[in-house]
Amino acid sequence: MNQLNRRVFTRFALAATVGLGCGVSASTSPLRFGLTPVILDDRIAFLREWGVWLSAHLGRPVSFVQRSRYREILDLLLRGGLDLAWICGYPYVQHRSELSLIAVPRFQGQPLYRSYIVVAADSSFGSLEDLKGGLFAWSDPDSNSGYLYPRYRLTQLGQDPDRYFQRTFFAWGHRHCVEAVAEGLADGAAVDGYVWDTLALREPALAGRTRVVLRSPQFGFPPLVGAPGLPSGDVDALRRVLLAQEGDEAGRRLLGELNLDGFAAEGPGLFGDIAHMAEVLNGAGRP
Amino acid sequence: MTWLPASYRRRLPLSLSIAAVATAVLMASALGLQTLKNLREDQGRNALRLGHAMSDVLVQALRHDDVWLAYSLLRGPEREASDATWVLVDELGRVFASNRPARYRVDQPLAEALPWLDAADIGADAGPSGELVGRARLEPIEAGIGWPADADQDRPRRFLRLPLASEGTEVGELIALLSDAPFLSRFFEVLEGGFLVTFGVLAVLLPLGWLWGRRMAAPLATLAECMRRAGEGDLRSVECPVPQGESEIGQLGQRFQEMVAALAEKQDLEQHMLKFERLAAVGRVAAGVAHEINNPLGGMLMAIDTFRRRQPADPRTGQLLDLLDRGLQQIQHAVSALLVEARLDSRPLTPQDLEDVRTLAQPKSGDPEAALVWDNGLAGPLPLPANLVRQLLLNLMLNALKAVEPGGRVAVQIAPDLGVLSMLVENTGEPMPHDRLDRLFEPYPSRRPDRQGLGLWVCYQICSQLGGTIEAQARDGITRLRVRLPIGEGPIHD
Repeated sequence: MNQLNRRVFTRFALAATVGLGCGVSASTSPLRFGLTPVILDDRIAFLREWGVWLSAHLGRPVSFVQRSRYREILDLLLRGGLDLAWICGYPYVQHRSELSLIAVPRFQGQPLYRSYIVVAADSSFGSLEDLKGGLFAWSDPDSNSGYLYPRYRLTQLGQDPDRYFQRTFFAWGHRHCVEAVAEGLADGAAVDGYVWDTLALREPALAGRTRVVLRSPQFGFPPLVGAPGLPSGDVDALRRVLLAQEGDEAGRRLLGELNLDGFAAEGPGLFGDIAHMAEVLNGAGRP
Repeated sequence: MTWLPASYRRRLPLSLSIAAVATAVLMASALGLQTLKNLREDQGRNALRLGHAMSDVLVQALRHDDVWLAYSLLRGPEREASDATWVLVDELGRVFASNRPARYRVDQPLAEALPWLDAADIGADAGPSGELVGRARLEPIEAGIGWPADADQDRPRRFLRLPLASEGTEVGELIALLSDAPFLSRFFEVLEGGFLVTFGVLAVLLPLGWLWGRRMAAPLATLAECMRRAGEGDLRSVECPVPQGESEIGQLGQRFQEMVAALAEKQDLEQHMLKFERLAAVGRVAAGVAHEINNPLGGMLMAIDTFRRRQPADPRTGQLLDLLDRGLQQIQHAVSALLVEARLDSRPLTPQDLEDVRTLAQPKSGDPEAALVWDNGLAGPLPLPANLVRQLLLNLMLNALKAVEPGGRVAVQIAPDLGVLSMLVENTGEPMPHDRLDRLFEPYPSRRPDRQGLGLWVCYQICSQLGGTIEAQARDGITRLRVRLPIGEGPIHD
């Protein structure tokens, strides 16, 4: 990571001396960008390229910070260890008063996505109801698509999500959920529909071993949010760069790698459904 | 052992080959089994090491109820080519995670997942704290103890039980099911290599063994063939290249030759005896008949003589008497030829007697062109009856001169030697057939009565009377008659 930072920094310094910088924000400290498994975050080469692109357009070095659990990224974000992060809509609505919404990715034309319930392709399960008493894998306790929605759905069906399955466990990531179902570790799993669709494109051998039995209504796509103390100038700069990414050729190619169309500026209202589900399940007690 | 060929020529190489093949196969099998054992031991050791290495993280996964952590560790880097089936069991005896999750499901009771495994073992003897890790056991899975038949191809052969403990308290157990499948292909490669090398060596050894076996058996076969011939025919004709040497077979060959020689000698002696007996019998009969005829014959001649002297006969009677006299004398002459007797009035033999015989024989030679080689080694008189020896030598010479071919050669050699007078008469010409040699000394042989009269028979009689021997040989175109007479026997009067 250090090496990457140094390289990014050198590039930026070079760009600054030739007057490429647009004069925004004099700060040269790197922006710490937290990633969660809401995207396929295991592609190091792609992340380096995107980091370079962001650095060049922001006029500041960008360093990625990755954790396997949403909670760790969220903690870092709230305690000032990160400047921005790509998190799920569920933790966002829980902390929306502290976090600033920078941008929401657009997937298949809209800043929306679904939650999928997947089972093994060769299994006999046809619906969420068939999975009763089975082995079920959650993605992450702070995931909307991989935890909140399926639990909400079960509650709506009059079931206790904690007793509905014989046994549940967290696989810490949507990709792991797909693997767990494909290998037979779990009978079913709740995954991010965007991740599953992207996997179906990128790794059909893995995704092809699973089958979607339930597609949720659409929710706000996991957003990019700024830390509580992130200056509004940085938020604006970031938003401008991200919104402009689909207009740039290299940026478009990188978006293609992410299987996204671009970024959109949205308001917190996009996540109203998620907030509602969280309220139903947790009461209004959580901060 | 009826399936083995009877002949040692085949039996010996075949036995060698069978022994070589059997040895090779046994060696290769033993090596293969040892390799398999080593591979299995290695697998067990590796599994134990891996189990120990994973134990800390697995304990953490158990304590935090993190199925995914345990699973991702157990499935390892190579999901398909895993060496073992790992099953992590929690402290309640339920499957917590496995690298074959479809087969060993999470939360499945161990008694259901591995019914043959004694589930009661878990936690039963926790023992002193800190020693749990040391209680890992590797045990073979006995065939047919409830292992489902459908999994036969990948059937585990051994299992490893590794109790997992946290601060001395057992929190679960790691079980590894080890099958032969991961290294079976390697094992077969080793086995194949071993068999290839073995058969390569055999390809060299077998022909060598075959040749060697044949070489060993060949002398025996030769000996067997010799014995067969010896049993069938004349022993003297058995010319056998019997094996030589110090070996048992060489000794056998030597003994066999000695035996054949002894048998041949005995056979010769028997034949000789038979001939001698026959000739002696013939001689006795001839002498008896001669005596029986001679006595009345003498009387008849005497009577004719007396008649003539007493009264003069008329011419017709005289003619008749002459006729009778001549006829009777012819009979007497013929009979006396049969009767060979040592005359008491014989004088000693002198060299001149022998020269006389030479003179007498030569004009009678049927073929004047035949050369006579004469070697008379007699220097002084010998105490042998002169007229008998003269008759003997004369007969022999006449015979030889009669038998010699035109331009041939007759050789006579006479030599006194250490109390024996040796006379050798030989002639070139058509060799005498074997059967004729056998009956040479018999009177009036049936085959050629016209050419051979009593001559040789008389010779034989004389030799017998003088205590000597006479023998005939025919070899290399030369017919040879050898007489040996002991000197100083028989009554000789000067």
